[in-house]
Amino acid sequence: MTSWLQDPSLAATLATWLPFISFLLILIFTREHRRLSGGIAVAAVAGSLAGALFLLIRHWGDAQPIQYSARWVVAGSLSIPFGYLLDAVSLTMLFLVAGISLLVQVYSLGYMAGDSGFSRYFAFQSLFAWAMMNLSISLATLQLYAFWELVGLSSYLLIGFWYERFSATQAGKKAFVMTRLGDVSFFIGLLLVLLHIGNSGIPEMNSPEAVARMDPGLLTLAALLIFGGIVGKSAQFPLMTWLPDAMEGPTPVSALLHSATMVAAGVFLFARLFPFLSRSADAMTVFLAIGTVSMLLASTMAIVSRDIKRVWAYSTISQLGLMIMGLAAGSLFAGGFHLTTHAAFKALLFLCSGVWVHRYGTNDVYEISGRGGRRLKIPMVCLVIAAAALSGLPPFSGFFSKEIILAALAGLKNPLWLAAGLIGAFLTSYYAFRLVFIILSPREEVREESGHHEGDAAYWVMGVPLLILAGVTLMLGFAVTPLREFLAGSTVHPGGNDGWLFYISTGLAALGVGVAWFEFGRRAAPRIGFVERIAPLRELFAQRWYLDHLYQWFVHIVIDRVLSRGCTRNEDRVINEAIDGFCRFTLDSGRVFAFLQSGKVRYNLMVMFGVLVLVALYFLFA
Amino acid sequence: MSPMIVPLGHVFVLAGVIFSMGLLCLVAHRNLIMTLVGVEVMMNASLIVFVAASLRWRLMEGQAFMLFILAVAAAEVSVGLALVFSLYRRTGSIDPDTYDILKW
Repeated sequence: MTSWLQDPSLAATLATWLPFISFLLILIFTREHRRLSGGIAVAAVAGSLAGALFLLIRHWGDAQPIQYSARWVVAGSLSIPFGYLLDAVSLTMLFLVAGISLLVQVYSLGYMAGDSGFSRYFAFQSLFAWAMMNLSISLATLQLYAFWELVGLSSYLLIGFWYERFSATQAGKKAFVMTRLGDVSFFIGLLLVLLHIGNSGIPEMNSPEAVARMDPGLLTLAALLIFGGIVGKSAQFPLMTWLPDAMEGPTPVSALLHSATMVAAGVFLFARLFPFLSRSADAMTVFLAIGTVSMLLASTMAIVSRDIKRVWAYSTISQLGLMIMGLAAGSLFAGGFHLTTHAAFKALLFLCSGVWVHRYGTNDVYEISGRGGRRLKIPMVCLVIAAAALSGLPPFSGFFSKEIILAALAGLKNPLWLAAGLIGAFLTSYYAFRLVFIILSPREEVREESGHHEGDAAYWVMGVPLLILAGVTLMLGFAVTPLREFLAGSTVHPGGNDGWLFYISTGLAALGVGVAWFEFGRRAAPRIGFVERIAPLRELFAQRWYLDHLYQWFVHIVIDRVLSRGCTRNEDRVINEAIDGFCRFTLDSGRVFAFLQSGKVRYNLMVMFGVLVLVALYFLFA
Repeated sequence: MSPMIVPLGHVFVLAGVIFSMGLLCLVAHRNLIMTLVGVEVMMNASLIVFVAASLRWRLMEGQAFMLFILAVAAAEVSVGLALVFSLYRRTGSIDPDTYDILKW
């Protein structure tokens, strides 16, 4: 292995460890010095971003991915390397993670100013940045799993950041436990693969020879188990209810973790193992189904929600479902490109919402609108841009990526998937613009004391990341062709039915905007959605399709009453009783034998005589 | 031709029966004197065996030994009575069940 001093690519790769150093420094040394902590964290991520940019430019057109590896575990026929794999997918993800981490951390300097846990926040942000970046460039699946867990840990720490609030700690626990469930199945799948292929490196796992060594049923099983991890991490059905609750954390955390990067880790894993997973057609169909269900379910939940952050959380679940649909339809580029554009505009949506949440102290969109949220120009404009991208309106980036996914879906045999995708597109633009119009046209305007001064440093600290992300959202769509070449290695566009699909999808998106305007944007609008009028439907969606109730019931009845109580009874009545009974038996038999010690001579004499008779008989007959 | 008028086995059975009766007398009474009586009876049973053996094998040692044992038995009974009397004086009772200070 070449030294990092000589190989600039290796140096840039090791720049991903800078945030880890920052994490340690902040936790150990600079907890009292807030500005220093913030500065260290931002500098570390900036360094990583520079490294990522350098790597991206340097290896843009490489034919072969670069690998740096060291032997980690070698046991008989098993070999688990530890190292870095720099190919198109990982470099893109690395750059994305580093970039958005930097923007969110700069934004947090303004958002978290004055908070007592300021240094702790930046320490955890650095921990997350390090873990996520290393996850992106991991070489071995077990190494990726280690960083996957670390990302889950930092998510728990950041969701429950304001730990004095009980709801925040509950949400953190819920997130951790739910993703952990997925991780169990992920690990079992990994072990299955490891045992059969013998090497845990990702390139080996994706190669055809390795896959030929596993028989198809086992391959499908492993693929489904690994997808279990994706379901947990990317909040797909049925493990999706932790993500809305995760909005208890600070808004920058929601922007970074729960929209752009951590939940995207699941989709990223899918893209990573795409050659491996796509070999099992049955598994891909299951993935398609789960993605579709998540997408539709989450969209319906978003339609009726009043909490601005919850709406974007449901939207994240829905868009991740869309990405998985794209990947499961067989197109790596579709899912991958949408991952990139979604990261930008979803982070933008959250950060804009964060400005209002920070200013007015409330998540409720009606209250934000009533207190004059629309007068803050930068967040308002950026929100509209991001919502348009989310809805898939041209010429924003979301339009391009959504088109590609819908084209991939159109290429499938069953038109059901495409229909679901189109319905999802309509619902997405509806709920996005519902929020936009609620904020744009408030009913009563409350006069605020004084507006934000434009020259405030805090204003620009939060404003500049918004502007940068908005710029990316506008521009990224036009980078389709070079990105396609980079990620998928070809410029051939799959599916040739662009014409009618373009009109239908754009028409549906525009219809969604129109319905939202009709119900919320007009001067005389009733401000109640068409779904909100139907009370049972509204209840169903607001209660998250009673999924949480189902889980509560499951935990209370099945686990607490049946399993827990059964095990407790078993322990009390069977195991403890057996041991107690044995002790009682010992005591009682002791009492019986003690009776023989009566101290009476006559009995001793009788026993002696009896024994002698027996001995005599023995000698007589033997 | 031995001078026995019954088979040797019969004599042994008689001796065994008398021995058990002596044993029964020993253990079944709550009276130390009866213990001594039982011991005497058991000893007499063994004397019968000795005499029977002497008759069977025409050796005089058996009968001579019987006389010795008889004398010893007499001495032993006197000693035993002395012990019983001393115990009575100590504890005021000749019931062996009351001497249970070795009981747990």
